[in-house]
Amino acid sequence: MKIKKKTNTLRYYAHIYRMILAQDLKSKMNYRADFIISNVGIIATNVSGFIAFWIMFQNFPSILNWTYYEMMFLYGFSLIALTPVQLFFDNNWNLRFQVYSGDFIRYCFRPINLFFYYISEVFDIKGIGQFAFGAGTLIYAWKNLGLSVTPLIILKLIIALFSASLFMIAIMNIAAATCFWITNSGIVMVFMFNFKDYARYPITIFNSIFRFIFTFIIPIAFIAYYPSLIFLRPDNVPLLTYLSPFIGIIFFYISYKVWITGAMQYSGTGS
Amino acid sequence: MNMEPIIQIKNVSKEFKVLNRREGLMGSIKDLFSRNYKIINAISNITMDIMPGEIVGYLGPNGAGKSTTIKMMTGVLKPTSGEILVNGRVPYENRTKNAQNIGVVFGQRTQLWWALPVIESFKILKEIYRIDDKVYNDNLELYNNLVGVKELYSKPVRQMSLGQRTLCDILAAFLHNPSVVFLDEPTIGLDVTMKSKIRELITELNRVKNTTVILTTHDMGDVDALCKRIIIIDKGTRIYDNSIENLKDYFGAYRTLKLMFSKNPEDNTEENLNKIAAEIQTSLHKEFPSAENIAVCSNEEWIDIFINEDEIKMMEIMNFIQNTRNIVDVKITEISTESVIKKIYEGGVK
Repeated sequence: MKIKKKTNTLRYYAHIYRMILAQDLKSKMNYRADFIISNVGIIATNVSGFIAFWIMFQNFPSILNWTYYEMMFLYGFSLIALTPVQLFFDNNWNLRFQVYSGDFIRYCFRPINLFFYYISEVFDIKGIGQFAFGAGTLIYAWKNLGLSVTPLIILKLIIALFSASLFMIAIMNIAAATCFWITNSGIVMVFMFNFKDYARYPITIFNSIFRFIFTFIIPIAFIAYYPSLIFLRPDNVPLLTYLSPFIGIIFFYISYKVWITGAMQYSGTGS
Repeated sequence: MNMEPIIQIKNVSKEFKVLNRREGLMGSIKDLFSRNYKIINAISNITMDIMPGEIVGYLGPNGAGKSTTIKMMTGVLKPTSGEILVNGRVPYENRTKNAQNIGVVFGQRTQLWWALPVIESFKILKEIYRIDDKVYNDNLELYNNLVGVKELYSKPVRQMSLGQRTLCDILAAFLHNPSVVFLDEPTIGLDVTMKSKIRELITELNRVKNTTVILTTHDMGDVDALCKRIIIIDKGTRIYDNSIENLKDYFGAYRTLKLMFSKNPEDNTEENLNKIAAEIQTSLHKEFPSAENIAVCSNEEWIDIFINEDEIKMMEIMNFIQNTRNIVDVKITEISTESVIKKIYEGGVK
């Protein structure tokens, strides 16, 4: 009975999300220039990042036993893992303005989960460009590394990407939710968001303090490094890699709780 | 007929803890270490019952606590003490459940999807509130009969005028047949035609669906057109709760007569006008000793004379002044909500 109720709720939310998304895409198609420019923009940003990466490897053949193509694998993997946060959770960036101006109150009167309702409002199409670039990079690296392609490995890849994506979503949820308590949360968001750039390096290049921070405090090592080990170092996979889907789900759940706690005690500005 | 109230508010108070900020940089640093709070009573001990189908005007000056009360009724805020029941349920204990049975329009903050055509927003709301096909279609038909909004439906909310948006927001708030709808300053910033259109719409929706409407406004026109009962609060306490007739009986006779004696800016210095106002006040009191409520003051280039027509007719006063002075322009204004409230507050009318 309880399970049936749960799946019904899930279906209800999935249905509403699909509706909003379909409508949103339809209305965005009317602004083709906006679609093209924003995607060209995010691809350009990624290309420039990639050029920096390429130049670096013109000078060093490898970094701590990580070869050019292995690094490229991490790079592509991290871009894909960072796509969901861009595509589906972009409204977190507007949260602090809405909270500050009092506009957030308008989300508070619906008989539906507040976090879902708020987040579902924005679907950021820029993410598509980022995904395309990341997928291209990953496939190119995959080929050059001579990795095999079997159904099992594809399944592993999907699970690894899915759990990896949860970490950045969770980090950004918490960073955005700080606006319910402090006024200057923009700084927190930008600060946290910039950490994603470190996700594309093997954590072994950092000293032990940063290794600890990036694993347990701001867990960006789970965005690319730990999950990639399954494919790049299959003989030597640490326990944390296997645990990462669970850690990801727990971490996401904590971030959701923080967000919703802040939102539920929000009461708006005067009007 | 013995009806249960749809909203029951019993001895409700709401306190806010506000940080006493110290001045200057040193002050801010001190604030970091020792926090010094003061308690502000936004609402003190308010009690009221609202019956199904009523349209209640909830009035009060800015900062009186209107929004705070509405937020408590919608479940966004928890009262510090006292009890609120909406549809027999405590709103803040189950905010999402409560939301299913209420509709809210918060002034200029649209709750529709900004980029989507209105009809698409309605369709999404239909799913969110799990509205029956029949109820939904009936409502759309009703809406079309009331305001003829069909041609608006395909327009994205973003491209609408404020008036159109407010109209659609109100329609959206009634879409799931809620038992109570809260309208927070629905006509703010609208032109006269739109205001009357919206007032008609609210009247009709209330009549057809018997929805309870709680309306906050600063516009006496809204109150006149919509409300039979008004509740006035000031500084968090209820100072009036009675029918509008009662209020009109009491204040209907009040007018402000505005006179201008010269269009020349040199004559209309503040000093000069104050002098004229004082002279008129003295002479009026001498001439009409029974009219105790007459008050004269200068207001920009005008001289305002506040009159209770039960005591003295306005024309008598105008004739009297015309005998001694040359009047170049005249305006007569009804008493405003703000001054009614002020009057009530000063006079303590119940």
